[in-house]
Amino acid sequence: MASLKNIKLKIVSYKKTGTVTHAMEAVSAVKMRKSQERALAGRAYAAAALSVLRRLAGTADAERHALVREQLGKTCFVVITSDKGLAGSLNSAVIRRVEDEIRSRALPKNDVVIIAVGRRGGDYFTSRGYEVRVKHENVGDGVSESDIRMVTDKILEWHAAGEIGACSIAYQNFLSTFEQEAGVRQIVPITQEMITEMVKHIRPVKGKYAPAASEEDKGPDVYTIEPDADEVLAVLLPKLLNTAVFHAFLEAKASEHSARMVAMKNATDKAKEMAGDLTRTFNKVRQASITREVSEITSGIEAMK
Amino acid sequence: MATFHLVIASVGEKRFDGPAASVTFPGTDGELTVLAHHEPFVTTLKAGTITIRGGGDGAKDIPIEGGVLEVSGNRAVVLL
Repeated sequence: MASLKNIKLKIVSYKKTGTVTHAMEAVSAVKMRKSQERALAGRAYAAAALSVLRRLAGTADAERHALVREQLGKTCFVVITSDKGLAGSLNSAVIRRVEDEIRSRALPKNDVVIIAVGRRGGDYFTSRGYEVRVKHENVGDGVSESDIRMVTDKILEWHAAGEIGACSIAYQNFLSTFEQEAGVRQIVPITQEMITEMVKHIRPVKGKYAPAASEEDKGPDVYTIEPDADEVLAVLLPKLLNTAVFHAFLEAKASEHSARMVAMKNATDKAKEMAGDLTRTFNKVRQASITREVSEITSGIEAMK
Repeated sequence: MATFHLVIASVGEKRFDGPAASVTFPGTDGELTVLAHHEPFVTTLKAGTITIRGGGDGAKDIPIEGGVLEVSGNRAVVLL
């Protein structure tokens, strides 16, 4: 049997671990809420951009713009993972989705270009011999515009040069606090369906920020467009790409924090359970030693009679 | 003076969200001013300053680096 002192030390260490994981859980909960609020604040922008595009698509030859057209070339994947672990299956789920996607489209390795946001995804794809062209780490919780530009500028540059034909973005979609889902979404070529989907998905399905009433806007059908639709599209489409990437970043952030919160909650519960079990063992060992001592004393007395 | 609703937003944040009576934009084809009940209208903006008047507290200048302006239904949205 382990000595009493050893068991006591173990109990203390489990309790300490529990305190730490409990604190991490609380921190993640706050961060998650902030990410959600930020995602909502950006929603108006996406909705406005969409409404302009929807009407332009009706009036002008929107298909003429390169970003809308299908184009031959490599396929680019933007993989958003976290820099740090301790978040359950968050990162592995995203990575698995990307691999499934590559396999199902039967893309050879040298036709795939990876933009890795977050250390986990970057390390994984580098070690498996994929072409990881951009590695971006330390994205703050705020997600600044420069973080987004790092990604979208590269996509636009490669697309214009004809190197890549399509681009998809893979990230954890935030459904609710306890539910996230890894998803791959196409962002180039830009389609109307994709943007409609995106605006719809900005709010989580359940919870405080779930959609209330429908926020469809009813704008006019006819616009005066200056200088012309082509010029407006040339400015607008890259902005839509930025918006798409921005929301993917925020979703990933919110998912990361909620996944970590849940993982830390499990850890806290487990630590409590272990400490409880050990306390029982401790009591048992202590009782056994007391019983032994008592029986030694009584047998000593018996012998002296 | 009649006002309309003006929203100036960049990807991550709203720079302005409120009523305005008259707003001057740096359009790519020249400066333009939008008043309330403007016809539906889309144009691109170049780098310059947006001047907002009558939105409560005097004139306000917001510098921009280009964007898209959409006016529809007594509402103007600038996407930076």
